[in-house]
Amino acid sequence: MLTRLVVAALFALLAIPAQAVMTIEIVGGASNRIPIAILPFGAKQAERASTEPKLDIAEVVASDLGRSGYFRLVDGKDSVSPSEPKVLSLPVWKERGADAVLMGQVLPVSDGKLEVRFWLLDAVRQTELKAMAYVSSPASLRVVAHKIADAVHEVLLGEPGSYSGRIAYILKRNSRYELQVADADSQNAVTITASPEPLISPAWSPDGRRLAYVSFEDKKPVVYVQNLADGKRIAVAKFRGSNSAPAWSPDSRKLAVTLSKDDTSQIYMLDIETGATTRFTHGGALDTEPLFSPDGRWLFFTSNRGGTPQIYKASLIDGSASRVTFEGGYNVSPALSPDGKTLAFVHRRDARFHVAVMDLASGQMQVLTDTVHDESPSFAPNGRQILYATLVNGRGVLATVSVDGKIRQRLSQSGDLREPTWGH
Amino acid sequence: MKYLVHVVLIGILLSGCADKPLKQASIEDRALSTAADKPVVDAAAGSVSTSGASAADVSSRALASDAGKVKDANAVETHGVVVQNPEAKALGNAAEQTQNAGKSPDSTASGGNSGQPDKADSLKYVAQPVLDPHNAQSPLAQRRLLFDYDSAAIRDEYRTLLEMHAQYLKNEKAAKVILQGHADERGSREYNLALGQRRSESVYKALGLLGVPEAQMEAVSLGEEKPVSDGHDENAWAQNRRAELLYQGD
Repeated sequence: MLTRLVVAALFALLAIPAQAVMTIEIVGGASNRIPIAILPFGAKQAERASTEPKLDIAEVVASDLGRSGYFRLVDGKDSVSPSEPKVLSLPVWKERGADAVLMGQVLPVSDGKLEVRFWLLDAVRQTELKAMAYVSSPASLRVVAHKIADAVHEVLLGEPGSYSGRIAYILKRNSRYELQVADADSQNAVTITASPEPLISPAWSPDGRRLAYVSFEDKKPVVYVQNLADGKRIAVAKFRGSNSAPAWSPDSRKLAVTLSKDDTSQIYMLDIETGATTRFTHGGALDTEPLFSPDGRWLFFTSNRGGTPQIYKASLIDGSASRVTFEGGYNVSPALSPDGKTLAFVHRRDARFHVAVMDLASGQMQVLTDTVHDESPSFAPNGRQILYATLVNGRGVLATVSVDGKIRQRLSQSGDLREPTWGH
Repeated sequence: MKYLVHVVLIGILLSGCADKPLKQASIEDRALSTAADKPVVDAAAGSVSTSGASAADVSSRALASDAGKVKDANAVETHGVVVQNPEAKALGNAAEQTQNAGKSPDSTASGGNSGQPDKADSLKYVAQPVLDPHNAQSPLAQRRLLFDYDSAAIRDEYRTLLEMHAQYLKNEKAAKVILQGHADERGSREYNLALGQRRSESVYKALGLLGVPEAQMEAVSLGEEKPVSDGHDENAWAQNRRAELLYQGD
């Protein structure tokens, strides 16, 4: 935990803040939202004197929970922040319609660090549901706020939230391409790399420390791997022809990539350390968009070997391949839920491109979106939401949809947003 | 329209020789000025504005379902003229033959007449295109081949063009060309990259069959990332499904 905060703090120091701010629009929501009151987090005088820009933790938590579609916010902004739970009158909050109340305190500890304590209370049964504390540097309070939202989500809904994750995406503005990383609420965006030539296919290493992506700065696609901590990058696949579609192995040591060095686009395994490649697919069809299953046993990919582009999976043990998608003539861009049980992909229906999901055990498929130019689906760390890119009025925006299709959000910004991927 | 393009084509063929001493000055001048007005035939096709582009969503949905069937009028017209015009084709072929003859040591044009190079050269002025990809008025300035929906097959109309590029590459052993394949914007970026790669590989194979050494070529793809038309309709997509020849030094 502490390591992650330290890494995040280091990262924040090195990164260049991006200027544009995204806006979030919620489209739809759960039918039964949990009413929750989030009270201002009290702070001792010492913290008030801090030189860091003040962060309203309650505001960030409320924003996370409010836009998730699972919660209804009961206005708690105007209330004074209680110093401890026992001075809080839960019946009053129950009266105001809250089923749950979140309150907290920020206290200075040694080395200029802050301790954030919070209590989640059940206003109906008048009990304490959770009490916890995080210690962080003042610069990482936003991370703490997202983690509190995760904890509240998990206690009240029985499954983890995904508010503290990070997303990577490509922003195109003024004919410049930027690979950016941001918090899951699209705040705190930093530019990792920028180029006048296109950037596509960012992919997080499973340990969250590196990003692989494809850059066209050499007048052809080349695969790069870049450290987030120091910004150092290397061209890991720059063979004759095109190099693209990087996908990390679960141990972060290999990339599956699409290369055209020997034949038309085929999938290869690339050892990042040595640069050695091993060809994985064979035959004259197009094979691309590789993806490791989380257990490392399967490689999912897109191929037109059956005449139309469809998703296949091949065993990483014996190489045998089988077709996964059958419905329709165009199923591409596979993404897997963290438990490996659900496949998300782009499905074409009536010349429109939608995000769809398939339960891999039953083969049952469901189209989730009504947008028509969907691309690049990617699961949230909790497996409950899918992030993707689409076009709205001809402009690229990011959107999320819950795996049941009921809750949708859109993130937009000046410029074109595309190729999003959720870090784990 | 056909006549105009024909004139432009002749203009291109003739004007390439402008830096050499010519006797038919008045004719060349006129041809040159015509060519200057419309220097590259294909550029005109590439920049055809898509009036429906801003109507984006509604129209693109309706069109998209018939994507494979809708023919792009501009592309057909432009390339139809260049290729289906038998005279233009004949000129191209003749040009190649003349040039071959000029290079060949035992050709009748130069053999035994070495004392009169002017005369031999002046014969070539009429028909020989200048094979220089960096000369905007050379036929090699046309670098773009369009493809049908979901297809990497090279249309017949580009045969002469590829023959001329092949000839240049065979003559200029030091010249190198990157073949860039492109796709329209629909669907996955990575799958479109693979589709674009197929298209550049088609051109690579075609040039290879015409005798161009593999070491002078590289087939790559830019997928849907570099459209020439920003529209979201079939007209734009037809312009964007293409391969381009990029010479070293471009």
